Amino acid sequence: MRYLIFTIALFGAQVLYAQNNYFYIALDVNTPLGNKDFVDETSARGGRMGYRAFVTEDSRVSLGIDASWTTFDKYKPTETFESHGGAITTDYFNYVYQYGLAVSGLYHFKVGESERFFPYAGIGIGANYNEYAQYYNIYSSVEKKWGFLARPEAGVLFRFTRNRGLGAMAAVHYDYSTNKSETFNVDKFSSVGFQIGLIIMNRY
Amino acid sequence: MRQLLVCATVLVALWSCHPEPDDYDLLDQMVVSTNYDTTVYIGGNSIGTYKTYALPTDTIGYVSNTDRNDTIRTSPQYDLPRKVLQTVEANMNKLGYTRVGFHESPDIGVNVYAVKDLNLFQQVVYPNYYYSGYYGYGGYYYYPYVQTYAYNTGSLVVEFVDLKNAAANQKYEVIWNAYMGDLFNAVNQLDQSIEAVNQAFVQSPYLKVQE
Repeated sequence: MRYLIFTIALFGAQVLYAQNNYFYIALDVNTPLGNKDFVDETSARGGRMGYRAFVTEDSRVSLGIDASWTTFDKYKPTETFESHGGAITTDYFNYVYQYGLAVSGLYHFKVGESERFFPYAGIGIGANYNEYAQYYNIYSSVEKKWGFLARPEAGVLFRFTRNRGLGAMAAVHYDYSTNKSETFNVDKFSSVGFQIGLIIMNRY
Repeated sequence: MRQLLVCATVLVALWSCHPEPDDYDLLDQMVVSTNYDTTVYIGGNSIGTYKTYALPTDTIGYVSNTDRNDTIRTSPQYDLPRKVLQTVEANMNKLGYTRVGFHESPDIGVNVYAVKDLNLFQQVVYPNYYYSGYYGYGGYYYYPYVQTYAYNTGSLVVEFVDLKNAAANQKYEVIWNAYMGDLFNAVNQLDQSIEAVNQAFVQSPYLKVQE
């Protein structure tokens, strides 16, 4: 965690000197990979926002920071769990509340001379904080865990007009995570996602 | 236009950061937990060797850390106790037990009662204070205060008390119980209670009387 904060601070200092940068906020749709017994449905209840700055004025490489949040859930119909000396019957809901923080390094490809389309690809490295929850009637069980996050990502930025900073973005990403929950028997909680959102770009 | 677009996107992206299941979906079915005395069951002296039981006709017990009165017992229109007891009786008979009076030496005394807990949570709130100028001048300070949150929770409980071996054991032992909750937040208290009692017996097949 200490190294993560240090790295973020380092990138933060870097972007202060950067010329071109953009801020984005996006709706993030994710599907969990594996651990499907706990949650398996695609979730549109998520978002991402971040700030990215190009290393130098003419550079195609940007460094940035991304914050993300997603909620996965699954309804489990009534089931009886037998144990030594008894049994319990209930229906229940499994939830995973996922919050991620990553620093990213992206390469933006040049497409023509229009300076309106910017396809990009890169990777984000950071940590995610997962809250695994099980709700049944008025009762609940919760386990909170940290994990390492690696997020390869590819997308495209699009400025609405050449002279204005407002634009749109779309991207796909794969979130590899080491996050696990012993209580709920979940390991390496990873997902793939698609995001679509708005950007505000400052180019000088 | 730009601000509007950004605001709309922020709202869409931030919606439901920490959503939870809908109350109705959570509370439309009770959690049924049953437990038996493993020493009685596993020791070869199965619960199923008990043959007779005694059960009240129209009254269930009520245990609460708050009010003495409760609509479950006091409302004349409310027939939850009678219906629950009838459901227990039907299940007991189906398992092969014979109902007898309290003075006819029953093997099992069946207790049925509701437990109501008032849960209190207290939190100290420190209001933000406004301060300007020199200390003590032009500043406003509000004393912290305690905020109290309260909610009622409760369970419907069915218990088997071992009367057959009470003299030998020199105490009344509970050999089987069922906790069903939450009783006080149920969407349909009566129907869900009956459903829960039936489920408690379904998940306890070892209760069947041995021929």
